[in-house]
Amino acid sequence: MRAELRLAWLLTRGSDRREWWRVALTAVGAALATGIGVTIVALTSLDGYYSVSVGSGLLDSTSDRRNVSIALGLLLIPVLGFVGQCARIGAVHRDRRLAALRLAGAAPWQVRRIAALESGLACLAGSMPATVTAVPVLLHAWSHPSPGAWAGFALMAVAVPVLGAAASALSLRRVVASPLGRVRRAGRAWAPGRLFRTVTWLLAATALFIVVAPVFSDRFTFDFGPVTVFVLALLISFTAVWLTGSSSRQLGEGLAARTRRPDVLIAAERLRDDPWAAARTHAGVLLVTVAGSGFMGVRQILLAELHARSREGSLAADLSYYTTGLDLAAAAILFGLALVLTALAVGTAESLATRRRGLAAQVAAGVPQAVLARALLLETALPLAPAAAVAGVGGFAIGTWYASLTSDVTVAPVPYVPLLVPLLVYAACLLAAACSLPLLRRSVRPAELRYA
Amino acid sequence: MSNGDSTVPLLAARDLTKAHGRTEALRGASVELRAGEILAVTGPSGSGKSTLLHCLAGIVSPDAGSVTYDGQRLDELPEKRLSELRRTDFGVVFQFGQLIPELTALDNVALPLMLAGAPRKDAQAAAGEWLERFGVRGQEALRPGELSGGQAQRAALARALVTGPKVVFADEPTGALDSLATEQVMTSLVHTAREAGAAVLLITHDAQVAAYADREVRLSDGAVLPAGVTA
Amino acid sequence: MIAMSTRHILLGLLASGPSHGYDLKRRHDERFPQARPLAYGQVYTTLQRLVRDGLAEVEGTDSDGGPERTTYRSTDDGARELAKWAGEIAPPAPFVTNEIFAKVVVSILSGGDADAYLAAQRAAHMQRMRELTAVKTAPGADLATVLSTDYALNHLDADLRWMTTTAARLTTLTAEVDAA
Repeated sequence: MRAELRLAWLLTRGSDRREWWRVALTAVGAALATGIGVTIVALTSLDGYYSVSVGSGLLDSTSDRRNVSIALGLLLIPVLGFVGQCARIGAVHRDRRLAALRLAGAAPWQVRRIAALESGLACLAGSMPATVTAVPVLLHAWSHPSPGAWAGFALMAVAVPVLGAAASALSLRRVVASPLGRVRRAGRAWAPGRLFRTVTWLLAATALFIVVAPVFSDRFTFDFGPVTVFVLALLISFTAVWLTGSSSRQLGEGLAARTRRPDVLIAAERLRDDPWAAARTHAGVLLVTVAGSGFMGVRQILLAELHARSREGSLAADLSYYTTGLDLAAAAILFGLALVLTALAVGTAESLATRRRGLAAQVAAGVPQAVLARALLLETALPLAPAAAVAGVGGFAIGTWYASLTSDVTVAPVPYVPLLVPLLVYAACLLAAACSLPLLRRSVRPAELRYA
Repeated sequence: MSNGDSTVPLLAARDLTKAHGRTEALRGASVELRAGEILAVTGPSGSGKSTLLHCLAGIVSPDAGSVTYDGQRLDELPEKRLSELRRTDFGVVFQFGQLIPELTALDNVALPLMLAGAPRKDAQAAAGEWLERFGVRGQEALRPGELSGGQAQRAALARALVTGPKVVFADEPTGALDSLATEQVMTSLVHTAREAGAAVLLITHDAQVAAYADREVRLSDGAVLPAGVTA
Repeated sequence: MIAMSTRHILLGLLASGPSHGYDLKRRHDERFPQARPLAYGQVYTTLQRLVRDGLAEVEGTDSDGGPERTTYRSTDDGARELAKWAGEIAPPAPFVTNEIFAKVVVSILSGGDADAYLAAQRAAHMQRMRELTAVKTAPGADLATVLSTDYALNHLDADLRWMTTTAARLTTLTAEVDAA
C-alpha cells in the first residue's frame, strides 16, 4: 500500500498544468459536495421545533427541514455531474500513463489502486478545507451541536474522498485490462445502452401508473404529487438526452451531405462521427432546464395564489415564509445551472485540447481560424436546440399541470415568460462554449505540430 | 557465439495465429528462443512482427497456437500470473512512449522494483547503478520530456533490465534514433544482456541493427520464412 | 570500386615521420585492416616513383645487422600534394560495377534462379555483417577499426537493401508474367 501511495503522490507532483486543472476542479467539486453534505447533516440532526434565526422560519419544523434537506440532496446531482466532467480532463493522457505502468510490470489491482489514490487525494484536498470552514459557520448559528452531528461532519469529510476513490477505481475497470492501453483499441464511443433504455421505459411506466391509477382507485391521491413531478421530470430529461443524440446523427448526416459552408461541414462531420458526445456533455444542462422551466411554471401560479390568499387573510404563515422558500429554490436552481455551465465549458475546452494536433495541422494547411471557431460553436448549438426546446416545453408543462392540480385559483392567461428559460439557458451554453475559444487560438500554434 | 547451454528452448511459439479485426496479423508463425541468445526478427512493415512479440511476451493471447515459457503454457495462465511473470522474468522496450512523463528518469527505472514492494531508497540505488551502466547517470533527475531520444531509450532499457529478467523483448528500440544513438543503444543492450545472461528478442526492419543479434528469423505476411527464401 | 590511391596513403603515413618500406607496409595493413594488404614490391615501386617526382626523398640507410633498410621521408612538395589530395572531393561512383548486380541481371536475362541466388547471398551478407558488428563493438576497438567496419557495414547494408527490393520486384514481375 505504501508503494502505491508513494507512486500516486509522485505522479501527482510531477504532473503538468492540465493535470493541476483536473485536481483543482475536482477539489472544488468535492468541497461543494462536502459543504452540502455537512449542511444536510446539520439540518437532519436537529429534532423538533426550533426557532432558527436564519431562513425566515423555513428551518423551524422538522418536516420543513426534511424537505430542505431533500432539495439540497437534489443539488448533489449537478455537483456530481460537474465532478464527473472534471474527472474526464486529460483522460487520454491518463489512460496512456496507466498503460505504461502496466508495461512496467504493475498488476491490474495495483494500477486501479494508484488511480483511485490519485483522485482520492484530489477529493481530500477539497473536502478538508470545506469541512474546516463549514463548521465554524454552522457553530455561529447553532451553539451546541449534538455528538451525532459531530460524527456526521467527520463522516462527510471522509466519505467524499472515499467515494471519489471508489468511483475512480470502478470507472477504470476496462482500461487497466490491457498493458497496451486503449490506444490500440478502436475507439468505441458511449451510446445509450440497454440500461438507459430500460430506465426510460420504467420511468414512462411509472408516470403512466401515477396518472392513471387515481382513476381506478381511491387510495391513490395526489400525495404522490412531488414524486410524480420528479418522475416526470426525469422522464423528460432522459427523452431530451436521447433526442440530443439521435438528432446529432440525423443533423450530421443531413447537413454534411448538403451544406456548402466549411464550418457547417466540419461541425456536421464531427456530429456524425460521435453523435452521443453532445448528449454526454449536455445531460446536466437539460436536467437543469427541465427543473428551471417547471419551477417557473409552478412559481407563477403559486405566487398568484399566495397573493390572492394573503389578500383574503387565509395564509397559514407569514408571506415571507413562502416567498423565501421560492427564492431559495430559485437560488438552488441557478446554482445548479452555474455548475452545469461550468462543466460544459470544461468539457468543450477538454475536447479542444485533445484535438490539438489535428486542429494545428488544419490551420497550418490554410483553414482560417474563424471557420474552426464557428464550427466549434455550431457543434454545441446544433444538437442542443431541439433538446432544449423539448426540455423547456416539457418542464413548463409539468410545472403548470402540477400547480393547477394543487391550487384552486384559475390562473390568468397562460404566461409565456417561463418559456424564456430554455432560450436563456441555450444562450448561456453558447457563451460557455465560447469561453474556450481563446484556448483554440493557443492550441493551433505550429509548435503543436512538433510532437509527432 | 550463443550462450545457450541447453538445446531446450527457453521460449517457444508454435503455429501462432492472431487476427486484429478482419486483418490476419499472424498465420501459423513458429519461433524459438534459447536461453542467453539474441534473436532478431525482421521483415517488412505489416508482416506481424509486433504481434508476434506481444504474443510471446504474454501481452495478448493468440487466437490459436501455443506459447511455452520455461515449460509453462503462457496462453493458459490467468492474467494475474501473467502480470507477475512479466514483472519478474520479462523486460519490455518499445519504440517510444513507455516512460512515464511525470516521473524522473531515476524514478522511472526504479518503478518496477517499487511496484514489487522494495523500499524507495533501495530501488533508487539499484536504478542508479543501471543508469550508470547505460551511461545516463548525469540525467537521472530529468523528466523524459527533457531527455534526448537516445537517452530516453537507454533509460527505458535500464528499466527493462533492472529486475534482472530472463528475456528482454525489444520492439524497434532504435526506430526513432539516428545511427550514432542507435549504435550506443544497441551496444549497451547487447553487452548488458550478455553480462546478465538474459535472452533478447529484437524486432527491427534495419539490417544493421539485426546484425547485433546471433541469429535472424524473417517474417513475411504473418508467417516465418524458411531459411532459403527471400520473400 | 575505385582503387585507393596507394601513393597518397604512403605520403600520409610518411607525414608522421620518416620510415622505411617494411614499416610502411606494416602500418598500412594495421591502419586499413579491411583493405587488401600491400605487397612489398608495390611499396618499394611506389616509394621510388615518389622520389622521382620529388614528393619524397631518401633520408638515409642503416643496416642494423640485417639487410639494408632505406629510410624515406616526405618533402614540402609531398606535404602540399597530400593536403591537396585530401581536400579534393572524390567523384560519386558514376558506374555500377558490382558483381552481385551483374549476377542478378544475368540470371534474370538467361532464365536462371535469381531468387535462390539472392537468398544465399543475403545469408552470406548477414553473416559478414554480424562478424563486423562484433568487431566494431568489442571493448577497446580503436577509431580506425570502428570507422572501417562502419564503412563496410553501411555498404553491405546498401547491398542488402537493394537485394530485398529486387527480390520483391521479382515476385511482382513473376506474378505479372504468370498472369499474362
